[in-house]
Amino acid sequence: MNWANRLLLVDRRIIFLMVFVGALIPIIRPIGLAVQISPPVEAVFDYVEGLRPGDTILLSFDYGPADGPELDPMANSILRHCYRKGIKVIGMSLFPLGGVEMGIARLNELSTELNAQGGTDWANLGYKDGGQAAMKAMGEDIAAVFPTDVNGVAYGAIPMTRGIRSYRDMKLAVSLATSVLGEWWINLVNAQFGIPVAVGTTAVSAPRYYAYMEAKQAIGILGGMKGASEYEELVERAYPDLKGLSRTATMGMDVQSIVHIIIIFFILFGNAMFLLTRRTREA
Amino acid sequence: MKRQIPILLAIGASLYPVIAFFVPTRGVTRFNQTLDEWMVIIASFALLLGIVSMIQVNLAKVHRRSSGWLYGLIVLVTFAIMATFGLFGRQGARPEGGLYPFTWVFQFAFSPLQSTMFSVLAFYVASASYRAFRVRNVEATLLLIGALIIMIGRIPLGQSIHPIVPQIAEWIMKVPNTAAQRGVIIGAALGAAAMSIRVMVGIERPYLGKS
Repeated sequence: MNWANRLLLVDRRIIFLMVFVGALIPIIRPIGLAVQISPPVEAVFDYVEGLRPGDTILLSFDYGPADGPELDPMANSILRHCYRKGIKVIGMSLFPLGGVEMGIARLNELSTELNAQGGTDWANLGYKDGGQAAMKAMGEDIAAVFPTDVNGVAYGAIPMTRGIRSYRDMKLAVSLATSVLGEWWINLVNAQFGIPVAVGTTAVSAPRYYAYMEAKQAIGILGGMKGASEYEELVERAYPDLKGLSRTATMGMDVQSIVHIIIIFFILFGNAMFLLTRRTREA
Repeated sequence: MKRQIPILLAIGASLYPVIAFFVPTRGVTRFNQTLDEWMVIIASFALLLGIVSMIQVNLAKVHRRSSGWLYGLIVLVTFAIMATFGLFGRQGARPEGGLYPFTWVFQFAFSPLQSTMFSVLAFYVASASYRAFRVRNVEATLLLIGALIIMIGRIPLGQSIHPIVPQIAEWIMKVPNTAAQRGVIIGAALGAAAMSIRVMVGIERPYLGKS
C-alpha cells in the first residue's frame, strides 16, 4: 500500500478532531467576517420595513430544537424588526416536536429585550395539530382553530387579536420551517388566501424554496444561518440603536466559514489522493 | 352498504371543498368551514393513533424482552412523564420565576439531545465527503464543482475571495437549482392531483383497507 492509499484510509477521528478544532477557534476568538446581503433576504426585510405601525403579521414557529441554531436567530431578528417598527406579531406553531416551546422562548425573550407587551404587541396562540387542515381553517376563522392562546386566554379576549378574524386581516405570514410546512404555507395559504408568505428555513431546505420565490409565491427566503445573519445585519443597519444585541447567526457564520473550508479541503485532498491512486493502478 | 356508505362519504367530502372553492356563496362556504374544522379534529386523531401504536409496540417489546427493550422502556417512561407534565401542567415561565416542569424538561433534556444529534452531522459530513465525494465521471465532477462554488459562495469568506463568488452561487441557486426543483415540484403535484381525482371518483379506496 503506497502513501496515497494510506492517506485515503486516514482514521476518521482525525477528521472529527480537525472539524472540532475548526469550530472551536472562532467560538473562542470570533473572526467577524463581513456579511453580504442576498436578494431573497433583502426582499423579506424590505417588505416588513414597508409595513406600517399597527399592522399585524403571523409568525409560525414550525421547527424544533435541532434547527434552533439556524432558525432562532431569524425569529430574533424578525421580532426585533417588528417590535421596533410597532408591527404586531401573532405567534403560533404547527410543528409537533417542540414548535410551541420554541415560540414561547423566542417571544418571551425578545419581548423582555425590547419591552414589548404580551397581548397588545404580540400574542402566542400555541400549537395546533393538523398541518394543512389547521392552515386552511385559519383562512376562515382563526378563533375556530385557536379558541385560546397558549396560556388559556380566549382568542377574543386578547386585545391585539380583536378585529383579526382570518389571514385577510394580516399583512404577512412568516413560517420558520424545518419540514414541508413551509411549502404548505406557500402552496396552500398564499395560493388560496392571497396573503404574502415569507419562509425562513434551514440551509439544506432552502434550495427548494427558490422555485416558489421565482414564481412570486413567496416574497423571499431566509436560507440557513447565512440568511439569518443577513437579516441581523439589515436590522442593525436600519436601526443602529439595536447595535450591541446578540447576533448569534453572524457569530455562527465564522464557525460555518471555517468548517466549510475544512470540508472543502478534505474533498479536494481526498480527490487528489483518489486520482493519484487511480493513476498508479493504471500504470 | 358497508362499502357504499364510506365510498359515498369520501366522494362527498372530497368534492365539496372543490365546489366551495369555485362557488364561494355564503350557503356553500358555511358548510365548507364546518368541514375544515372537522378536518382539524380528525387530523388530531391521527396523532392519537400514533401514540396508541407507539405504546403498543414498545409495551410488547418490553414484555418480550426483545432486542432493544430497554430503549422501549425509556420511550414509555419519558412519554408518560412528558404527557403528565403536558396534560396536567402549564408551559413556559412561572410568573414567580423559574420554568414549569414541561418547559424545564424540554429546555434541559430534549433540546440538548436534539441539538447534539443534529450537530454530530457536521462531523459525519466532513468524514463522508472525504471518503465518498469522488470525481469518478463527468456528472460527479459537475456536482463537485457546483457543491464547491455553493459552499464557498454561501459563507462570508466567498465575498472576501472575490465579490463574484457569492453572485455565481446565487445564480446556481436561482437558475439551474430552480429549474430542477420546479420539475420535482410539478411532478409531485401532478401525482398528488391524479391521486386525489382517483379518490374523488371512488377508484382509489385506501380508507376501505385496500385500493
